[in-house]
Amino acid sequence: MSTRMTLGLAAVVLAPIVGGLIRGLDRVLTARLQGRQGPPLLQPFFDIIKLFQKEPVVVNRTQVFYAYLHLALIALATFMLATGGDALMLLFILAFSTLALVIGAMSVRSPFSRIGAQREIVMMVAYEPILILMVIGFYLANGSFRLQSVYEASRPMLLSLPLVFIAYLSVVMIKFQKSPFDLATSHHAHQEIVKGVTLEFAGPYLGMIELAHCYEAAFFLGLAGLFWATNAWMAALLAAGVFAVTLLLDNLCARLTTHWMFRFMWTVVFGLALTNIIWLYWR
Amino acid sequence: MSSIVSSEAILLLLLIAGPMIFGAAAWGVRTESARRGVVLAAVGCVVASGLALALRGPFVLAGARWLEPLGGILEAALVGVFFALGVCRRMWLVAAAAGVQAGLLVWEHFGADPASSVAPPFIVDPLSLLLVLIITLVGSVILLHGIGYMGRHAEHAPPTAAQNGRFFLVLIGFLGLMNGLVLADSLRWFAVFWEGTTLCSYFLIGHDGTEEAKASARRALTLNALGGAMLSLGMVWDHRQGGTGLISNLIANPASTPLVFLLTAAFVKSAQMPFQSWLLGAMVAPTPVSALLHSSTMVKAGSYLVLRLAPAFASTPLALVIALAGAFTFAATSAMAISQSNAKKVLAYSTIANLGLIVACSGINTPLAYAAALVVLVYHAISKALLFLCVGTIEQQIGSRHIDAMGGIFFKLPLTTTIAALGMISMMAPPFGMLVGKWMAIVSAGQTPLVLVLLVIGSALTIFFWGKWLGRIVTTAYHEKYHLEKIPRTMSAALVVLGAMVLVAGAGVMTVYRAWLRPLAISTLSHVYLQPDSLGLLQSVDSFMGWPIMVTLLVVVLAGLASFFGLRRTQVRLPYLCGENVVVGTRTFEFRSVMDQRTTAQVTSYYFTHLFGEETMTRWANLVALLILLSLFARVSLA
Amino acid sequence: MLRQFGLKKSPWVVHFNCNSCNGCDIELLACLSPLYDLERFGIIHVGNPKHADVLLVTGSVNHRNARVLKNVYDQMPEPKAVVAVGVCASTGGIFRECYNVLGGIEEVVPVDVFVPGCPARPEAVIDGIVKAAEKLDLRRRGQPVSRPSLVPETHEPSPKPAAPPETVPATPASPAAPVAAPAELAKTP
Repeated sequence: MSTRMTLGLAAVVLAPIVGGLIRGLDRVLTARLQGRQGPPLLQPFFDIIKLFQKEPVVVNRTQVFYAYLHLALIALATFMLATGGDALMLLFILAFSTLALVIGAMSVRSPFSRIGAQREIVMMVAYEPILILMVIGFYLANGSFRLQSVYEASRPMLLSLPLVFIAYLSVVMIKFQKSPFDLATSHHAHQEIVKGVTLEFAGPYLGMIELAHCYEAAFFLGLAGLFWATNAWMAALLAAGVFAVTLLLDNLCARLTTHWMFRFMWTVVFGLALTNIIWLYWR
Repeated sequence: MSSIVSSEAILLLLLIAGPMIFGAAAWGVRTESARRGVVLAAVGCVVASGLALALRGPFVLAGARWLEPLGGILEAALVGVFFALGVCRRMWLVAAAAGVQAGLLVWEHFGADPASSVAPPFIVDPLSLLLVLIITLVGSVILLHGIGYMGRHAEHAPPTAAQNGRFFLVLIGFLGLMNGLVLADSLRWFAVFWEGTTLCSYFLIGHDGTEEAKASARRALTLNALGGAMLSLGMVWDHRQGGTGLISNLIANPASTPLVFLLTAAFVKSAQMPFQSWLLGAMVAPTPVSALLHSSTMVKAGSYLVLRLAPAFASTPLALVIALAGAFTFAATSAMAISQSNAKKVLAYSTIANLGLIVACSGINTPLAYAAALVVLVYHAISKALLFLCVGTIEQQIGSRHIDAMGGIFFKLPLTTTIAALGMISMMAPPFGMLVGKWMAIVSAGQTPLVLVLLVIGSALTIFFWGKWLGRIVTTAYHEKYHLEKIPRTMSAALVVLGAMVLVAGAGVMTVYRAWLRPLAISTLSHVYLQPDSLGLLQSVDSFMGWPIMVTLLVVVLAGLASFFGLRRTQVRLPYLCGENVVVGTRTFEFRSVMDQRTTAQVTSYYFTHLFGEETMTRWANLVALLILLSLFARVSLA
Repeated sequence: MLRQFGLKKSPWVVHFNCNSCNGCDIELLACLSPLYDLERFGIIHVGNPKHADVLLVTGSVNHRNARVLKNVYDQMPEPKAVVAVGVCASTGGIFRECYNVLGGIEEVVPVDVFVPGCPARPEAVIDGIVKAAEKLDLRRRGQPVSRPSLVPETHEPSPKPAAPPETVPATPASPAAPVAAPAELAKTP
C-alpha cells in the first residue's frame, strides 16, 4: 500500500474523531459564551454511541440508502482531501453527499422534513459556486486542479486568495448550520422547523448523519487549513481561527431567511470571491 | 474492390433510406397489430445497421455525380413545401424564408461555375459514427417505447389528433434523415436532411391538432425555416467565395462569413438563446417525439454542426463569442428551469442548457473542452431520452405532468420511478457521464474567465431543479410490498434497456473517454496551438480514477439492501405531524386540525419565481443573447 | 466497554404539554437556563419524538389529547422512558375530577419516573431525567426495570399521592434552595 493510500485511510479513520472533538469543543465553548457549564467535551461521541444503541426507526424503508450514501460519500471526500485528489471532483462528491441527505429527507411524507430539505438545497446552491470559485482560485495559483499541488505549493494560498478565504468563511457557516444560516436543520438544542432534514431519521440512521457531521467538521476545517498548507502550525492556526469566527458569529447572530441568505451569498460573497479570481487573472 | 464499396453503399443506404421505407410501411399497413410488427422490425433493422456501421469503422464513400443535382432537386422540393405551408397556413415568415431560399437556389444554380461542382461524398469518421450510434441505439429504444405509448395515446388524445400511421411514418423516417445529416459531407445534402428534420418536427409537434399544438408547430417551423435560410445563405456565400460546397473543405479553408451563417443556423436548431422558444413549445408533442427529436437527436444536429465546424473557428476571434453564447444559454436556462413546475418544461430547459454547454465547450477550443462536449453529447442523449420516456409514462399513468403532482408515484409506479430517479442522478452526480462532462468543461474553461463564471453559475443552479424534483418523485410512505406497474411491455422494456445503458455507459465513462472521445478530440483540434497548461489539464483528467466512487456506491448499495430487508414492520413509524396523524392507509400527510377536521399538509416545491420567473428572465436574457449573437457577426470583420 | 456511555450520558428529551397550566413548563424552561443547564448531563431538549429518548409530560390527560400523547410516545424509538412532571401529569392533580380529564398520563403511556410538585422544581426535573436515563441503560442491557406505581386511594381527589420508591422527593419550595442545588446535582451523575 502506498503512502498516499495509507494517508487517505488514516484520514477516514481519524476525521470523525477529530471532528467529534471539534464539535464537542464547539458545544462547550458555546455553553461558556452563554454562561453555562456545558456538556463534557466527549459529548458528541456519547450521542453517537447512544444513537447506534437505539432502535432503527424509519418512516419508509428506502430512507436507509440515503443515510448510508450521505455518510459514505463524505468519507470518500475526506479520503480524497487527504490523498490530494482532484479538487473539483471532490466538490461534486461533497455535493452528492449533501444531496443524498436532502433526497432522504424528501423521500418521507413529512412536511417539516420537506421544508428543511428544500432549504438545504437552496443552501447548497448558495455556497456551491463559492466553493467552485475557491477551487478555481487554487488552480490559478498553482496551475493544477489536484489538491496535491496545493500541498506542494511553496507559497501559502491565503496570500493569493484572501477574499476567497473570507467567502469560504461564510460557506463554513452554512455548512456547519450556524446562525445566521441554520435554516435547514439546527444543531444541538436549537429548534428550526422541528428538526428539518434530519427529522425523520432516527436511531442508527441519525447516528450516521451525526457521524457525517463530524466528518464535515473535520473536512471543512481541514480545507480551511489548506489556505496555509506550507506550514502545519499555520494551517492549524487558520483552521482554529475559522472555528472561532463561526462560533462567535453563531452566538451573535439571529437566523436569516432563506431568500436573504441566497441573495447575500450570490451578491456579496460571490462578488468577493469573483473579485479575487479576476485579480488573479490580471496579476 | 468494387464489391467492398458497394457493401458500404448498401450499409449507408440501409441507414438513410431503410428507416424511411419502414416508416412508409408503418403508414401503409391497416391494423394496429401489423403496425406494431413493422415498428418492431424497424427497431431491429435500425439497431443492426448502426452496429454494423460501428463494426465497419470509418470510411469515405465517394458519391456519384448525379447525386448533386438530385440533392438540388430535393432541396427545391422541400423549399417548395415550406413555401406552400407558409402560404396555406398563413405563416408569412416561413413563406418569406422559403422565398429567400428559393431565390438563393436559383441564383446559385445559374451563378455557379459548373466545373467546381463535385460528387457529394459521405464520410464516416469517429464523430459521425458517434452520432449514428446515438441515433440508432437511443432512437430505436424510443421507437420501442413509442409503440406502447402511442397505443395508449390514441385512447385519450384529442379527436383532432392525426393517425398513428402518419406519426410512425414521420418518426421512423426521421431516423433516416438524421443518419443522413451526420454522414453527409456535401453542404447541399446536409441542407436537404436539415430541412427534412425541420419538416418532421413540424408534423410531430402538431400531431395532436389542438390549438396549442398548432401554434407551437407553427413557431417551431417559423424559427427553423429562418435557420434554414441562414444555412442556405452560408452555403451560397461559401460557393461565391470559391468553396466546393463540402463541409470538410470549409473546415480546411475556413472563411468566417459562411461560418457565422452556418453557426447561426446551428444555434436555431439547438434552440440556443434567443431562439429557445420553439423548443419549449415543442413539448406539447407526444413524449416519444420530445425524447427523440427534442432532446436526444434532432436538436443535437445543431450542436453536431458546431462540433463539426469547431476546427474551422478554432483560434479565431469567433471562438470566444461562441463559447460565451453557449455558456450564457447554459446559465440562463438553468436558472429558468428552477421556476418551472411543468416536468416536460424543466426537461426542455435542461436540454437547452446542456446543448449550450456543448456549444460553450466547442468554443473553448482545447482538446479537453472538445472531449467534454463529446461526453456531454453522448451522455445527455441517453439520460435525457430516458427521462423523457419516464415522464411520458408517468404522465399517462397519473394524468399530470406537474412536478408537485408526482409525490407518491414511487408506490404506484416503482419501476418507472426507480429508473427516472436513476436518470436524474445520472444527470448530476458522480460517477455518471454528465457530471464528468461538466467537470471537464469547468476544468477546461480555466483560461476563459467569463465562460468559466457562467459555467459555475449554471452548474450550481442545475442541482436546484434536479434535487427538488428527484426528492418529489422518490417520496413514499411505508409499503409492505411493491407491485410493478402494469404498462405495455414495449414501454417497460424500453425503460429497462435505457436504464441499463445509463448504468453501463455511466460506469464506463472514463473508458469511453480514453478509448474514443479523447483521441477524437485531439485529432480534431490537432492544428490548434496548445498551451502547455491545457496539456497538463488533459493529463490530470486522464488520471482520474473512478473506482473509489464505484466501490463506495457498491458498499452503500449492499449495506443499504441489508438494512432494507432487516427492518421489521414494528420499526416503521408514522412521520412526525405533532402527534396528530390521521392513521388511515398511506396518506400520511393528513393530520387532524381544528375541530378534528382531516387536513392534508401541503408543501409545494420552491420555485423562486420572483428571481427566476420565466417572463422577466426571458426578456432580459434574450436581449443579452441577441447581443452576443450580433457580436458574432461583428467579429466576422476581425476574423 | 464504550456502550455504557451511550444512553446514560446523552438522554435527549422531548417535552409534551398535555393539559398543563404552564407552571411546570416554565420550570422546565428554567432547566435550560444557565442556572440549571440541562446540557451538563448531555441532556438536549429536542423538538420531535423521533430523536428523543425521554418523554417529559406536563399536565393531565384529557379525552382530546390522549391519542396525541400516545402517538408521540409511539413514534419514539426503543429504548425509551417517560417522565411525568408535576402532580397533574402524575395523577391528574387538581384537574383530576374534571369531566373531560382522564387522570394522570399513566392512563395512556407507561411512566418510569414521577416528578411531583406543583409546579415541579427544576432540580427535581433534572434528577428525574437522570433517573430515567439510568433506566434506559438498564433496558438496553435487558435487565428488568421496575415501574413505579401510584395507586390512588379512592375516587376522592388526593392532593398528595404516596411517594413510591423511585419517586424523586419533592424539594421544599423555599426560595433560597435553587442556588445551592445545581452544584450538588452536578456531582451526582
